[in-house]
Amino acid sequence: KAEFHNLQELRHSPSLVTKVFIQRDYSEGTMCRFQAKFPSELDNRIERTLLEETVKTLNSYYAEAEKIGGQSYLEGCLACATAYIIFLCMETRYEKVLRKISGFIQEQNEKIYAPRGLLLTDPIERGMRVLEISVFEDRGSGGSSPSSTMSSGSSAR
Amino acid sequence: MVSWMGSGIVGGGGDWTLLLMFMNILMCVFVFRCPWLAVTICPAVPPCCAVLFLFVLANFTMATFMDAGVLPVASEDEDKDDEFRAPLYKNVNVKGVQVRMKWCASCHFYRPPRCSHCSICDHCVEDFDHHCPWVNNCIGRRNYRYFFLFLLSLTFHMIGVFTFGLIYVLHHMDELWKLHCTVTLVVISISGLFLIPVLGLTGFHLYLVSRGRTTNEQVTGKFQGGVNPFTRGCCNNLEHLVCSPISPKYTARPCRKAVIHIQPPFLRPEIERQMPVKVRGNGIQSLQNKVSTKTVKLSDIKQPKTPPPLPPKPDHGLLKSQVALLKTSDQQGSNKGPDLHSESKGSPVRCSQQASLPVQPSLQTSAASSSLQLNSLPLNSRSLTLKHTSRSGSKSQLPAMHADNLESSPLPGILSSSSLLANHNTSSSSISYDNVIPADPQAMAQRGAPPVSYPHHFMTLGTDGNLQRSHPRTYSPVFMGISRQSPHLRDLIPPDMTPPLSAAARYDNFSKAIMASIHERRELEERERMLRRQVRTQALFSPDMGIYDIPSRRSLPPDNIRPPGSRGPTPPAYGSREFLMSTGVLGYNIRTSPLSSSSSLTHGPKTSSSPLQNSSSSLQSRGRSSSPAYYPPERPAPGFPSSTSTLPRFSSSSSSSAPLYASYANTKRSSLPYSGEGKDSVTLGALK
Repeated sequence: KAEFHNLQELRHSPSLVTKVFIQRDYSEGTMCRFQAKFPSELDNRIERTLLEETVKTLNSYYAEAEKIGGQSYLEGCLACATAYIIFLCMETRYEKVLRKISGFIQEQNEKIYAPRGLLLTDPIERGMRVLEISVFEDRGSGGSSPSSTMSSGSSAR
Repeated sequence: MVSWMGSGIVGGGGDWTLLLMFMNILMCVFVFRCPWLAVTICPAVPPCCAVLFLFVLANFTMATFMDAGVLPVASEDEDKDDEFRAPLYKNVNVKGVQVRMKWCASCHFYRPPRCSHCSICDHCVEDFDHHCPWVNNCIGRRNYRYFFLFLLSLTFHMIGVFTFGLIYVLHHMDELWKLHCTVTLVVISISGLFLIPVLGLTGFHLYLVSRGRTTNEQVTGKFQGGVNPFTRGCCNNLEHLVCSPISPKYTARPCRKAVIHIQPPFLRPEIERQMPVKVRGNGIQSLQNKVSTKTVKLSDIKQPKTPPPLPPKPDHGLLKSQVALLKTSDQQGSNKGPDLHSESKGSPVRCSQQASLPVQPSLQTSAASSSLQLNSLPLNSRSLTLKHTSRSGSKSQLPAMHADNLESSPLPGILSSSSLLANHNTSSSSISYDNVIPADPQAMAQRGAPPVSYPHHFMTLGTDGNLQRSHPRTYSPVFMGISRQSPHLRDLIPPDMTPPLSAAARYDNFSKAIMASIHERRELEERERMLRRQVRTQALFSPDMGIYDIPSRRSLPPDNIRPPGSRGPTPPAYGSREFLMSTGVLGYNIRTSPLSSSSSLTHGPKTSSSPLQNSSSSLQSRGRSSSPAYYPPERPAPGFPSSTSTLPRFSSSSSSSAPLYASYANTKRSSLPYSGEGKDSVTLGALK
């Protein structure tokens, strides 16, 4: 059908070009912080402020997770008192914040990064060592059909 | 529940079973004395002892089974940054003190400060303390607290057992050779005997905590002369030890797969005026140009954290408002901000305005599933007009007035329906158009120009292809793997890659396409690298391409087959990773992978890796293939190795454990603090 053809031509398959890594900022010790330095590879892909904002927010989440305060005391005491059985039922505060972070990253990806052909990976998947940003490029028109790439891929395997 | 189970169980029981048995026996015997103790001394004695013993057991269990903070091995992509010539050390400034981060050959990253590689368990552990043979587990960031509390409580427990046993015996001096007294004597002698090293170890760790050091740092003498940047003062250190939140497990996390659509054309920041113009039609083309100029607004628009006022401003131009959509992305909260899925949906709809019929049902489904909230896109979303009147959205703020202005008959319907579309609460599927009101609705309608910058045509198209899809999360099968499991891309490429036939089939194969393209790219890169290498070797023997490379990760010149000990014509550059690896290679578990030729990501020819492999296999061969799947779950499989250097530590026989323990205790006792007793630290299994 004509309209389907139209739509197909419109579709381009982006491909992963490179990954940019934002490293941890250890200047304040081993607490989890990421460098707010803007990587130069992303200069023409995303506005500086957007990324910095994301990283700052992430850092604040991690700071909140690692904060020592009333709740962490309570958690520790409760855990001790119940001979750590409480860990079987309850989710620790850090885990809760991690879930929040993961939701935040998902949201950021959908709204800001995916439209720019970027993708953030949750640092927890990298052991909280780096914040990985996958950079995608539009590889061309419908000519670079998936079939061709797939066949080349399979032959290369 | 099992989330905190660590590697303590792996490796054949180890010494902890012995310890446990021993303690149980002690307690059982002790229990028999409790009635007398309760009567003679205080009724509170048995309950206190029981609680203490329970505490000891609990902490012991946690120390044994809890993951110490194992860092997962880095994916291949990370390593790419660290090229051939990358240094072995990287300096980082921690609170004004220069700390060296060493490249871990097994895990393929620069070890964070305080992180160390445990050769017994063959993984890097965060805040590594030591590898404890008694619990048969690494002690690191996550379980140091439990280990410390175990030591403390065990000390008190043993002191208690010893004291009360002694009291009992002293009270029954006349019956000393009777059974009950003899047994008690045995118990107190055993507990007294073991109390001394335990007490010593506890004291040592108390000292470490007060100084804010780990055992590893103490034994290697890292901060002997200098300042320890990781200490926070004695009291704060104790506070952190006991009260800090438990950090999360990095390995074996439940992976939530979320679908993210990445569809060109991509937005570019204002720096780059040239927007990738994909011509879809004349009408669109012109609008695209307009869009490109208007993207200036992108950076201007602030991103407040609070939800925006929803009703779009009528005076905004379509493009600006479209652009604003992108910006309101983080004004989320409950308000589903402009999600580009929806926006993209608008554009393809526009594109196909001439023949929107087939699009309609898809739009309906997609709109339904994604809860479009169009303000007034002059979408030929007559499709959209159709069925969604029933959905009174929570955010129906659309200017229906604009709908009236629009000429095309379907458009008013669209707008009203769009206004009625409710937002789903699914975070990943929410779509809402805010502020998308064309300044000139008529013009827009006539041009039928879509908001070109929105890349998510795909979603609509996906639903086009699969009209039945109404599940918000399955707009299209694309990127399921990529969004969350990028290192596994290679593994995820399905073996059968038939060319897609229909639109639907194409979309279904999209993920494969993406993965295939990634794979292809990697192949290309690898080939390029190989070519480069070959050129280099032929031209001149680069100093960095030494024979000392770790075969799995660094390429070797194809004709370089020399025994590892000998020097090539040009040795590796001093200070380069390869050079230092060659000297430090004995301490590492080398990923011996001669078969890395099978991996598409290896850096070079592997033929010459065999000599190295032979040598390294004599060291600490794990026989692990350099398959791309580095995730720890498959690492325990090789299990405990044939590593000769770790053998003494590793035995599960009690006889060897005792001398080990004794040796540890001895070394500890001989100098407190240590200075440079690196050799003894081997027993701790921590050091390299």
